[in-house]
Amino acid sequence: MTEVTSNVAGADRELIAFRIGEQEFCVDIMNVREIRGWTPATPLPRSPSYMKGVINLRGIVLPIIDLGARFGLATAEPTARHVIMVAHIGNRMVGLLVDAVSDIVQLTDSTIQPTPDVASDHVKTFVKGIFAVEGGRMISLIDLDHVLPAESEAEAA
Amino acid sequence: MSDDPFEAIKVTFFQECSELLGDLEANLLALETGQGDGETINAVFRAVHSVKGGAGAFGLEDLVRFAHVFETLMDELRSGRKECDDVTIKTLLRASDVLADHIAAAQGTKPPVDVARSAGLVAELEVLTHGQAKPAAPVAAAPVEDDFGFTPLTLDLADFGDPVELPSLELPSLDLPPLAAAPAAGWRIVFRPHPRLYASANDVSLLLRELARLGQTSVQLDDSGLPSLDALDAEDAHLIWTIDLSGDASEASVRDVFDFVEMDCDLSITALAPAASADLPGLPELPALAAAPVEPDFDIATLLAQATAAATDMTPAPAVAPAPAPIAPVTAPKPAAPVVAPAQAAAPAAPVGPAPVTIRVDLDRVDRLINVVGELVIQQAMLAQRVMESGLARSSDIALGLEDLELLTRDIQDSVMAIRAQPVKSVFQRMPRLVREVAEMTGKRVRLVTAGEDTEVDKTVVERLAEPITHMLRNAIDHGLESPEEREAAGKPAEGVVRLAALHRSGRIVIEIADDGKGINRSRVRGIAVDRGLIAEDAVLTDDEVDNLIFLPGFSTAETITDVSGRGVGMDVVRRSIQALGGRISISSVPGKGSTFTLSLPLTLAVLDGMVVAAAEQTLVAPLSAIVESLTPRVEDIHYVGGHDAVIRFREEFVPLVDVGRVMGFRDDATTLNGGVVMIVETEAGSRAALLVDAINGQRQVVIKSLETNYRHVDGVSAATILGDGSVALILDIDALVLAGRRKSNRPELKMAS
Amino acid sequence: MTKTVLTVDDSRTMRDMLMLALKDAGYRVVQAEDGIHGLEVLQAESPDIVITDINMPRMDGFGFIEGMRADPNHKATPVLVLTTESDAAKKQRARDAGATGWIVKPFDPAKLVDAVRRVAA
Repeated sequence: MTEVTSNVAGADRELIAFRIGEQEFCVDIMNVREIRGWTPATPLPRSPSYMKGVINLRGIVLPIIDLGARFGLATAEPTARHVIMVAHIGNRMVGLLVDAVSDIVQLTDSTIQPTPDVASDHVKTFVKGIFAVEGGRMISLIDLDHVLPAESEAEAA
Repeated sequence: MSDDPFEAIKVTFFQECSELLGDLEANLLALETGQGDGETINAVFRAVHSVKGGAGAFGLEDLVRFAHVFETLMDELRSGRKECDDVTIKTLLRASDVLADHIAAAQGTKPPVDVARSAGLVAELEVLTHGQAKPAAPVAAAPVEDDFGFTPLTLDLADFGDPVELPSLELPSLDLPPLAAAPAAGWRIVFRPHPRLYASANDVSLLLRELARLGQTSVQLDDSGLPSLDALDAEDAHLIWTIDLSGDASEASVRDVFDFVEMDCDLSITALAPAASADLPGLPELPALAAAPVEPDFDIATLLAQATAAATDMTPAPAVAPAPAPIAPVTAPKPAAPVVAPAQAAAPAAPVGPAPVTIRVDLDRVDRLINVVGELVIQQAMLAQRVMESGLARSSDIALGLEDLELLTRDIQDSVMAIRAQPVKSVFQRMPRLVREVAEMTGKRVRLVTAGEDTEVDKTVVERLAEPITHMLRNAIDHGLESPEEREAAGKPAEGVVRLAALHRSGRIVIEIADDGKGINRSRVRGIAVDRGLIAEDAVLTDDEVDNLIFLPGFSTAETITDVSGRGVGMDVVRRSIQALGGRISISSVPGKGSTFTLSLPLTLAVLDGMVVAAAEQTLVAPLSAIVESLTPRVEDIHYVGGHDAVIRFREEFVPLVDVGRVMGFRDDATTLNGGVVMIVETEAGSRAALLVDAINGQRQVVIKSLETNYRHVDGVSAATILGDGSVALILDIDALVLAGRRKSNRPELKMAS
Repeated sequence: MTKTVLTVDDSRTMRDMLMLALKDAGYRVVQAEDGIHGLEVLQAESPDIVITDINMPRMDGFGFIEGMRADPNHKATPVLVLTTESDAAKKQRARDAGATGWIVKPFDPAKLVDAVRRVAA
């Protein structure tokens, strides 16, 4: 693999790592407000399949997005073992449904590498880069800004 | 909150300006329609006057200068010196626009006003003020400096009666005689108050105190003018003071002390000769004061003797108190009668009845209160649910208590919501100016008529109204109204009318914007929609449906992108912003006669009276205001039109039957009617439909939670709420639901862009 | 003893400014919004000095002063009028109404306090 210098300012960041299926991902911890268990969501009509519905988070109506489905990975029906990460995306608050949250990792941007071409185009939309942590794990850094459905994406016709 | 109180007052000033501008415009508009009177003109004057006053305090020069010219004309008008005719009023309206711009520029929310535009209006105002064109003189700064225009009074001591020796009064702090020990320079002030000086609560002792600040003073009182006690008029003035002020105070500073009273006294100020001459008669300006030279060692006895020997038979006041407190002997005249007869104390303006007492409250506090009350409603609902589930009897004390609690909670909620309810006037008020500007820009002649400004709606809704109303007004003037020539050719008056009205209807607020223009050109709209691939070429649409095509994204009928409406901001954006509020917008149009946009919005974004229903295992809430009746459907009442469109008989008509669970996408196949319930609903447009659900679970007042905040608009859903069991329930958008139902069954060939 | 000043002005900005200048100088300030309100507060508070604007709704400054002077309790209370110009005619009008003195707007806080001092002990 070629070394590529990152174009992001070399600052240390804390990331929270989570698992979907066999893969590991992470997001900037500054975006994540809290972690909670799965509760059944009220489904929204004519929504994309990755939109699981909305739940009540202490009086706030929180949309739940199945990240695995959003990334185009095979997913199973959510159970009580699944985890919801409550995250800020822009000025919205969203619940991200994942299999489990693993740990907090430190990352210096300079260690980020570009996403390898083997990854599907679909996944690449969301992944900013990948990097390695001890133990040889490869973790993909997620760009949350693309996770929410864009305005033009209508409800499934 | 800034720490600097002065800065805080500046914020207050701009807030006040915004209120004043609103009143000002409203008043000018009233004058324009002939509904104003003298008091209206006065109110306009006061508004401009207040703006100018505050602006001066903050040194906002451009604003002060413009306001001054405006104020000057208003002064002429309120005094009746100039007539307030149509031309004047129209100029005043434009001046109020420029004034608003100056204020915004001063506030920093807008760039500085275009010099030419401001100067142009200034010139117009001056023409109206002065009757003819003034030579184009630059607008002078408001005369803000002190200009006393003081004209010296000549002192005529002749009517003081025969001069008697001035009793020399010893001042504790001074040597006698003052003149003999006079330093190099100073002033001799002779001061005789008129009764009115006392009547205006001026206090001679305070004047003397002020003089004493300028230097050393020696004060002599001449009370020879005092009549005997029985002849004494308590409110008359009889005393004369002579004050010798030594020091280097200027004459101006001496005069300044008497600034307030100069009109109500006889005052002479002459230079004290620095020379040693101790002879009073030597002073040419005071011929009448020629008296015996002041000598030291005067004592009271001598004084009295001399006084008694006076030519007049006046009895000098025995109390020869030291000068600093001359008030003591003259307590009589001090509480003088008012110069103005008490009879005139009646208020010149007819007092209005007691004004409603209001208080100002931070909006934050109100918002927090409303949120907390919202949570209270949810908690109360949850509590009620748990009690019900626990099996407690309905008649038990707890259950009854809970019912009371529910009523109380509802009461609190209503009251609290009313706090934040505001008339739409604040939004409507900005529109006349907008209409003027758009009319000018498009060369149309427009008259704006408004109605229902006092219609109240929650603050959360009011603020969001401005933008859509603005768009629609622009649209109406730019695209709806014809040019004056076209109108006349069509037999219409050259001036078009746009009507903006607000009213309450079935628990919602309805805003109508109607123009008497050319209406929607249906063939053109249809053509554009086909061109843009929004509808199929052979699509069959009703007139209404064609009209509503303009709401589709990407639709704009402007051939050239005018500055006003066409710049990519289409009606679809307007519709989305209305939908985000839980509202809807529709249009109806008659070619050649005009178009009417109708906006319908919930009264508040906060609470809703709803009917909780179940459909396809989902709990949903239907707005109570839309429900006409509920009934259990009977198979024999259902008919199928064209083989597959279900309608149900309701009273004497057949209404379309909408399977809620299927239309919402919760279920793929149609449900059977067994065990189901039908709710007859009425849409905004007034048409009826029957919603088929699985069960009705009761009425509840629910707190509205927006879906758009964290997600986006979902068709068929107006908002969400949190039920007693903590789960989220969707609130149905009845109109969208009915429309979707029709679409699903009736128009398979109509391809609508999503 | 702290003296009480009654300020009568329909402009909130002006009331705030007067309050600021007067409180800084150690006075206690009570306020009113127009002449009628001013007369009510006058009765309730019996201030030592009054400062009033002229142009106000319901009852203007002159009406207010006339009302003051008609009341035996307040005939001798000093009252200053706020005026934007100090031409002789305006001063005359103020005097005719019974004003003790005047303050020209926009006012310098020091001048304001000075004027107040000049008419009140």
